[in-house]
Amino acid sequence: MTRRIVIAAVALFWQGLTLPATAGDEPWAERALPSHVDQATLQGTLDRDTLFDLIERGEKLFTAKFTELDGAGRAMATQAIIPTKRKRPPDNIFQRIAGTDANACSSCHREPVTGGAGDFTVNVFVNEGFVNADFDTTDPQFSNERNTNHLMGAGLVELLAREMTADLHAIRRDTLKKARETGEPVTAALQTKGIAFGRITAQPDGILDLHEIDGVDTDLVIRPFSQKGVMTSLRQFSVNAMNQHHGMQAVERFGTRWTGEADFDEDGHADELTDGDISALVAWQATLPPPAIETPDDPAWQEAAAKGSAMFDEIGCNACHVRALPLENLKFVDPGPYDAAGTLRGGEIGGAVYDLALTDWADKLERDDQGRWLVPTFGDLKRHLITDRQVADLGNELLGQRFVERNEFQTAELWGLASTAPYGHRGDFTTLDGIIRAHGGAARASRDAYTECAEEDRSALIAFLKTLVIPQ
Amino acid sequence: MTRLAATLSALLALAAPLAAEEETSGTLPMDVPVMVEEALAAGIDHAYTGPWEYFVGGGASAFDCNGDRLPDLAVAGGTAPARLYVNRSAIGGELNFEEKPDALPANAREKVTGFYALDIDNDGYRDLVTLRVGENAILKGGPDCSFSEANRAFAFDGGRAWSTAFAATFEPGLPFPTLAFGNYVDRSAPGSPWGTCHDNAFIRPLDGKDTPDYSEPTALTPGYCALSMIFTDWNHTGEPDLRVANDRQYYREGQEQLWRVQSGRPPRPYRRNDGWRRVQIWGMGIAEADLNADGYPEYALTSMGDTMLQTLDDEAEPDRPVYRDVAFDNNATAHRPYTGEDLKPSTGWHADFDDFNNDGRLDLFIAKGNVQQMQDFASYDPDNLLLGKAGGGFVESGDKAGIALPRRGRGAAVADFNMDGMLDLAVVNREAPVSLFRNTGGSNNGSKTRPMGNWLEIELQQKGTNRNAVGATITVKSGNETRTRKVQVGGGHASGSSGFIHVGTGVAERAQIRVQWPDGEWSAPFRVFANNFVVIRRDATQAQYWYPPE
Repeated sequence: MTRRIVIAAVALFWQGLTLPATAGDEPWAERALPSHVDQATLQGTLDRDTLFDLIERGEKLFTAKFTELDGAGRAMATQAIIPTKRKRPPDNIFQRIAGTDANACSSCHREPVTGGAGDFTVNVFVNEGFVNADFDTTDPQFSNERNTNHLMGAGLVELLAREMTADLHAIRRDTLKKARETGEPVTAALQTKGIAFGRITAQPDGILDLHEIDGVDTDLVIRPFSQKGVMTSLRQFSVNAMNQHHGMQAVERFGTRWTGEADFDEDGHADELTDGDISALVAWQATLPPPAIETPDDPAWQEAAAKGSAMFDEIGCNACHVRALPLENLKFVDPGPYDAAGTLRGGEIGGAVYDLALTDWADKLERDDQGRWLVPTFGDLKRHLITDRQVADLGNELLGQRFVERNEFQTAELWGLASTAPYGHRGDFTTLDGIIRAHGGAARASRDAYTECAEEDRSALIAFLKTLVIPQ
Repeated sequence: MTRLAATLSALLALAAPLAAEEETSGTLPMDVPVMVEEALAAGIDHAYTGPWEYFVGGGASAFDCNGDRLPDLAVAGGTAPARLYVNRSAIGGELNFEEKPDALPANAREKVTGFYALDIDNDGYRDLVTLRVGENAILKGGPDCSFSEANRAFAFDGGRAWSTAFAATFEPGLPFPTLAFGNYVDRSAPGSPWGTCHDNAFIRPLDGKDTPDYSEPTALTPGYCALSMIFTDWNHTGEPDLRVANDRQYYREGQEQLWRVQSGRPPRPYRRNDGWRRVQIWGMGIAEADLNADGYPEYALTSMGDTMLQTLDDEAEPDRPVYRDVAFDNNATAHRPYTGEDLKPSTGWHADFDDFNNDGRLDLFIAKGNVQQMQDFASYDPDNLLLGKAGGGFVESGDKAGIALPRRGRGAAVADFNMDGMLDLAVVNREAPVSLFRNTGGSNNGSKTRPMGNWLEIELQQKGTNRNAVGATITVKSGNETRTRKVQVGGGHASGSSGFIHVGTGVAERAQIRVQWPDGEWSAPFRVFANNFVVIRRDATQAQYWYPPE
């Protein structure tokens, strides 16, 4: 049964999840959000029908072209993730640079399928929204211009990050315990799923020396989303994005509990997105099928790809673009365990579990001899320096983001690469060859090895990368 | 007294219809911290008792005395012995204290009205200033919550006064802190108690000594029966002055006071021609906070009837401390019990600005309680927890929070006793058990208790003099909001807390901290993630996290 058929089959269950947005709407009402998802109906591990119903609602929200009647636009709020007032309302509801810049999530996340990536035309301009929030220029001193990422397999990515965070926190806990017990400083390597994040030293009094950590935040939380790796969860990202891009404000951050106002953006619409609405968006994104490695029909391409795959390891691409990371558990708990206040947390509500094993794609994932699912992200969920003095094309941002330096980025997951041109965080590279040559900093040796290869070896590597697709 | 009470009641009647909308609707937009009283279960069974001399006082000090960074608790007892409780609480769990009977020297346990903790001799251990009816004592702190009398070693004459207030500051160039003691009625003076307020004492350490030498006190004359005092940088000059809350019950022609404290010079009171306006209240407690983040603190002054909330007036200048009362505008008058049938005026004591619900906004706790049996004032007078509102001002939540007990509150200590990021509360009550409230999380209009906002707890360290950076300013910036805290010793009512400085950050998951050290030097910015205990050492390039034992 395909995803679409299943969704259609469970459509009859909608009534159970629904809260009316406005009573008495005509069928032709200019409203994209005729009802809200009731979070109270989402308890425990959702059965297949309920999960797919929620996914369907999520897709509706992801593709909805929100209108002013839904609360689109943020007359008196900036794009900031901390609710922040504007000084004055904008002239127009849309402003392509500072936002609100999109009518629907799917207007950018669309190639080759809904939830996919975007062309250069749908780049976004990242400004924290506190200073110069109303910028009207693409001058990089005001914002970092970013290409639209794809979201395929995002649930698996978040689950990996959660397990890695749990590992790092366990190392931290054990190291501190040992230092307290022995009365001596104790140093430990931070390693999880084969990825090294430097090391920590615990002092006997409970102080933690963090100056040797590498590629992870000081709270040792793996934040797997955004090009910088600064967003903890799909939930956090969704709440941010709905405000930034659409002016649709989630109650869980912009509601009366935190801001004292039900209509923080003062657009005449209170409580624009319920906890349930955000859960639906999360469920839809978390269950998007992962990209795949496609076997080309062309035997020559097959042969080249096989050679290129070996090259990929040989020149060290796989040091950061790790082929697959093992995942212990497919149960996606929402809200997740590592979000901070302002994004719904476990303990605030009962929460729900989306069992990704219920999806049609789950049984296609490879498993290792320990029964772990192998998630072929071609990434390491770690940040690296990506420029150096000679190779600095990817160092074109002027603003750090959320404590991360301007030329440091999380390793891009390569799965789905062939379906998501252009490349680079700004979408500056039209070819894979171009983006590989732009790798500096921590990737410099591999990049140099690539450039020094024979032409046919470089071609083989491209042939391999071209098999990493988002199925349509 | 009857006429005063009638006047107050008339004022209250005028104010009543203007109570905040939230109070009448019964719903609050923000989380209300659910405070669970568990003193007895936690091992604290103690009351502040005694005759007239102990109608005032009743303080506590929360501070770490055994190096585990968990706040321990010293509690005054009046005619009952003062006690020191060592914190054995499980991290994030129920509160648990163990009395250490021999921690305080026997002589210093009697007739105690209050406690303040600070490291006087710069040895890394906080010492304990003990306010008493009679000779005050400085107890030198040592390892494992051990204290020894240090009056002789520090050349400190504890005097014979009835002491009820204390504050300390580190002045430039001096190796040890300057101490100020506030005294109440001089019982030996003719005509006592009316118009016989004792002078207060201001004691600078002598320079050039290896150990503290407080042998040359300066009398702060006139004294107006001080019940609270605090060194405060009211005009942002970096040179704190001394503010004193005085009880009009016993002074004649007295008023609230602000003493100008300039390095190397004797203090002098600001007067009318300096712009200082005469305010006569039953000044019981002081708390300061920069509520509007303009760099200039506001002051809550507790009293009988209205609490005052003072802010600098437009007429103020750097050398003209002109204040106006904005308590009514901010719904902070807390003038009578907010629950129960008793509509007589309240009696306020300890005051403390802190963020109890971690929403990023400062709240105001006020301990309340009848002096003894003053019939013109409320006998059921529950403590206040005024929660800061998003748009400014406060709303009462004491009953919803669970702190509205029928006890006569006096001093209090606000601290995170179980290191879970949420502020707990110890209240010393007159002739009633100490209340120990554990903050268990937020509730909104009856909802299940849930996690509240994000938080940071910050510890400052520097070497040499003033190891705990008393007088430092901490700014915590998230987005466009800057939250400011001062490291202070003094204020409240005979009580205080020292140790981690708590800052709620609301929905901000990260922040940038800057410290203005007591000598005025600003630190580099430190980037930290919320929900962490942060230790900042002077001259360090990176803040460190501290983790409580699991």
